[in-house]
Amino acid sequence: MDSGTQFTLAMSAPPDDVDTVHALLQEVWSNSPAVSATDRVCFETALIELAGNVIQHADAGTGVSCTLTVEVFGDRIEARLSDTGEPGQFHLVPGGMPHELAESGRGIPLIEALVDELHYDRSGSLNLWRISRRLGTA
Amino acid sequence: MEFTSGEIADGIAVVRPTGRLNMVSAGRLRELITSTVAGGRSRVVVDLTGVEFIDSSGLGALISGLKTARQAGGDLRIAAPNEQVSLVLRLTNMDRVLPVYASAETAYGNG
Repeated sequence: MDSGTQFTLAMSAPPDDVDTVHALLQEVWSNSPAVSATDRVCFETALIELAGNVIQHADAGTGVSCTLTVEVFGDRIEARLSDTGEPGQFHLVPGGMPHELAESGRGIPLIEALVDELHYDRSGSLNLWRISRRLGTA
Repeated sequence: MEFTSGEIADGIAVVRPTGRLNMVSAGRLRELITSTVAGGRSRVVVDLTGVEFIDSSGLGALISGLKTARQAGGDLRIAAPNEQVSLVLRLTNMDRVLPVYASAETAYGNG
């Protein structure tokens, strides 16, 4: 297993929110000059969607605790997010975008359009998410 | 995120969000558009010049505003998105329903 440069964040929502994830990514980009602007925009958009999805949908009323690790490899960038929320409920089946006037339902399809891999697993009381984008592919 | 709003021509309202349009701020944009339309101005332009980042919650607020404005006989148009916003609009096919204009002043014609 190869290894890259890791950035890790433990967060509790509330009070943390997706702006906390933006702050972590700011640190990642500052330390990863080789990652292109296109890769940054695509990966940040995907990760914010994922974190927002977890914060919004996994909270059963007691908040959600998450551990987020972003790792920059030579050929790809990955994020691994584990959370204590309700089991993830979404469909990885490519379903495309919802009706054009729908006000929700674009998050997961948007992630799928921006990264090469999106994985979900449930382990014990944790949801485990992973997204990965190959660098320099856009 | 901060919002300012005003009128750029007779009956045309402009809303200017600044910062990140995400799940933290989307509800406030939705409310601002609703109150603008309820106040009698159903032709709305959202000037995205100051928006540095948008997510699907922000898109939802724009679609909500579009429907609110159309139900009142008006429309909602967007202006001056940056690269990230344009990418998200394109990937979600939202550019088909939310026409993009170069500036708020030209969104409804002569400005």
